[in-house]
Amino acid sequence: MTGKVTVTLKVNGRTFSADCEPRKTLADFLRQDLGFTGVHLGCEHGVCGACTISVDGSTARSCCMLAVQAEGTEVTTVEGLASDGNLHPLQEAFWKHHGLQCGFCTPGMLAAASELLEDNPDPTADEIREGISGNLCRCTGYQFIVDSVQDAAQHLRSTT
Amino acid sequence: MERRDFSFVALARPGAGRDKKTWEDTVVEQNAHEGLIGARVRRKEDLRLLTGRTQFVDDVQLSGMLEAAVLRSPVPHARIVSIDVSEALEHPGVYAVMTGAEVKEAVSSPQPVIWRMIPDQLIPDGYPLAVDKVRYVGQGVAAVAAKDRATAEDALELIDVEYEELPAVASLEDALAEDAPKLYEDWPSNVSGSTTIPKGDVAAAFADADVVVTESFRFARQTGAPLETRGVVATWDPYTSHLDIWLSTQSPNLARDLLGEVLGISVDKIRVRTPDVGGGFGNKFDFYGEEIVAAILSRSTGRSVKLIEDRMESFVANAHSREQKIDVELAATSDGAITGLRATVYAVLGGQLGTVGIGPCWTTAALMTGPYDIPNAELSVVGVMTNRSPYGSYRGWGQPKSNFVHERMVELLSRRIGMDAQEIRRKNFVPPDAFPYASPVFFYDSGRYADCLDLCEKSVEQAGWLERRDKARADGTAVGIGYSFHVEITAFGPSRILNMAGLQHAGFDEEVVRIDSTGHVTVYTGQSAMGQGVQTALAQVAAQSLGVALDDVTVVVGDTDTCPYTGYGTGASRAAAVGGGAVLTAATRLKEKVLRIAGQILEASPEDLVVQDGRVSVTGAPDKSISMAEIGDASYRRMNGLLPETESPTLEEREVFDPANVAFSYGCTAVLTEVDTETGEVRLLDYLIAHDCGTVINPLIVDGQLHGGAAQAIGGALYEELVYGDDGQIQTTTFMDYLIPTATEIPPFRLEHMATVADHIPGGFKGMGEGGTIGGGAAIAHSVEDALSDYGVSITSLPITPPRLLAAMRAGKDNG
Repeated sequence: MTGKVTVTLKVNGRTFSADCEPRKTLADFLRQDLGFTGVHLGCEHGVCGACTISVDGSTARSCCMLAVQAEGTEVTTVEGLASDGNLHPLQEAFWKHHGLQCGFCTPGMLAAASELLEDNPDPTADEIREGISGNLCRCTGYQFIVDSVQDAAQHLRSTT
Repeated sequence: MERRDFSFVALARPGAGRDKKTWEDTVVEQNAHEGLIGARVRRKEDLRLLTGRTQFVDDVQLSGMLEAAVLRSPVPHARIVSIDVSEALEHPGVYAVMTGAEVKEAVSSPQPVIWRMIPDQLIPDGYPLAVDKVRYVGQGVAAVAAKDRATAEDALELIDVEYEELPAVASLEDALAEDAPKLYEDWPSNVSGSTTIPKGDVAAAFADADVVVTESFRFARQTGAPLETRGVVATWDPYTSHLDIWLSTQSPNLARDLLGEVLGISVDKIRVRTPDVGGGFGNKFDFYGEEIVAAILSRSTGRSVKLIEDRMESFVANAHSREQKIDVELAATSDGAITGLRATVYAVLGGQLGTVGIGPCWTTAALMTGPYDIPNAELSVVGVMTNRSPYGSYRGWGQPKSNFVHERMVELLSRRIGMDAQEIRRKNFVPPDAFPYASPVFFYDSGRYADCLDLCEKSVEQAGWLERRDKARADGTAVGIGYSFHVEITAFGPSRILNMAGLQHAGFDEEVVRIDSTGHVTVYTGQSAMGQGVQTALAQVAAQSLGVALDDVTVVVGDTDTCPYTGYGTGASRAAAVGGGAVLTAATRLKEKVLRIAGQILEASPEDLVVQDGRVSVTGAPDKSISMAEIGDASYRRMNGLLPETESPTLEEREVFDPANVAFSYGCTAVLTEVDTETGEVRLLDYLIAHDCGTVINPLIVDGQLHGGAAQAIGGALYEELVYGDDGQIQTTTFMDYLIPTATEIPPFRLEHMATVADHIPGGFKGMGEGGTIGGGAAIAHSVEDALSDYGVSITSLPITPPRLLAAMRAGKDNG
């Protein structure tokens, strides 16, 4: 294949630099070259949302971005959501309300929900459904995800 | 067709060896449970899943590992004239290229078909990759192992296959047409086999009937579509012949046996490890050619080989399901007693038979009487090959179609004789005092169907649906309420009877419960974890049975070298019931040993001891106690003077549980629906399931299973369809074409529970993994019909897409 390029970016607060083929997706780069296997690939065509991460503060589908496009960005994956051994309130709420079953969609779902709550700290159930409608879950039927996000929102409002 | 190949009724005598009195009326309310069985505790699985610390099969990285890709047929039906792989082999980074013929040469037997219900069924030899002929779009033709997946895919483009195209048998009608092209030239037709399940005297029932209702139903092709696609990492040592395989599977023990069969090696040399599994839904129960291809590529390259299907491949290489045509006739009296049911299920099979063969379609026929006591039945199934992907397992396994048929027929009868459909249901339900009840094939163990229907109706009233419907209609909005009642076969199943039914595998379960030297507990299970919470459920059973805290129990899954054998696999809603039952028995026996040891140390009789929170104490003398940790230590390490001379060291029990019968869960689904009469779009406003699965282990998990199952029912009823063109080309190979419902299509769910225990299962557990999926389609169809009652709409096919519904509305108007 063609020559490799070096990509440097910050993931979950730490700077990484690695060589990859220009055609490599950001998702594959994060998973294979940097070891962030919490990034999941469900479709690789931008529909299922399992690969959703945060890039410079906005959610992005890492399967539809090339690694080279992420040069110089700050990325957060599910591995960076909890800090110092403490779960993020969304993680706590998903656990409490059974907001996950197989867990494959969960990293992307958490990223989408996290952005939703930043934009709208007090969403209605319908607004939550709309907010996570870019993320497919085949296990839960969404009810407990909605409950989880609502509970996390309440918790976040009461602590900030 | 007048043949009765076998009968569970004739073979199974679940009543033998048990007290008939306890079979019936053994009813407990879930809330009456104390302790961990029945507790709504959060799952042990979740911390890893929530923090990204999982290992799914694509996360498995081994030193020197290669990655493979499969070249798939672009045509539905063709002779393979030649395959030239020379250029691909030359490509930098490529280690091996295999064609179908080479794979066939390397295996000992064709791909196994484990369900053989029809003794004289024509079962073609299928191989992991096509040999000589391709019979569906997407069938594997060749495979490449290379330094990475991208390079392997590059090399696929360099393989030159010459096809001599044959006319495609694109549909059921094509396949059954006179002079249809044949998929298998030496067969008389495209029919693989047929059989009939009889009960009573159906001819007399129809001759004497006041009313005969006739209908034909059609079900689209659908698939489980777990969010994680299938995958395998195989390491087959060319010197020792040991095969170490990571497989995203629901059935590791079955896979191990089938790998041995196909590859011609003894199973002691095969280790199947199951990493985290990103959803199974039956798709990952089946055994696929890719497993074999990866193993053979590994052996030939001397390296580990990873083969992960991408989503497009998944839509052609994963089991397809649901597609059937069912012609039905129902005989009844004018006052609503159903006296006869006659049906023919046309199974629209693919170009090859998959692992489960015609199994799901046979089950559709076998369970078509549903919850009703129908004295006379003649239920046929005809398996028809087409140039489509192979048919296989998907949650519900034939039952959603049985349910749609019997529930739709009840509604049609209701319209015909002007009797309320719920009254017809009540009149025909198997009554509580008729259990165990001999249905055409299976014994139903227990149930209170009328109570469940009452509970559902009452809950609908309390939820205010009737007022909502009235108000909406007054405002000119088309809103309707629909019901369905389902039964679900679970706790699969009695091994010898399954064998006699044609299953080339067993149904028992084996569980190992061990207390270690620190007094903590490990359960080793052969059941698979795929998101359904089996670790938490089994831990709850073990913890309560032993008297320890839930946090002190670890459940080990996913390794055939360390975990015991379970028959079948984790499917057919069996893990909680047969696994839970076996854990309960093993743990109870282990507790007896703990009490004997504690009794000696505390100088008390074991009968006077209680265990709570990991501490054994003497009843009435709580200060006289010993911790499970001390007993563990005395059993493994410092035993002199503590462990009774009569006891062997270690604390471990193993239980093999082969159930005497399956167990039937059941439920009633109600749906509140709005239809846009301009566009034909259906919107579900509310959704309610009243459900009974015996003793509930964890209500949180049960609720989640019902929600998720219902969401798949909704997808199947309204959105999902694998579309094939007349040319045999599949047209839906992305999530933009195959519509999995999102959170905005799925309504909120309400659940009501009752608990009628299965008393032939220790603990009284029944399975429930598929219930949510079974009853949804009919309830949604009925809600749509109710919403459009002015239009006289009759729903006879799924999914109910807007164009189909608009057509049904036009047809209804024309007829009415």
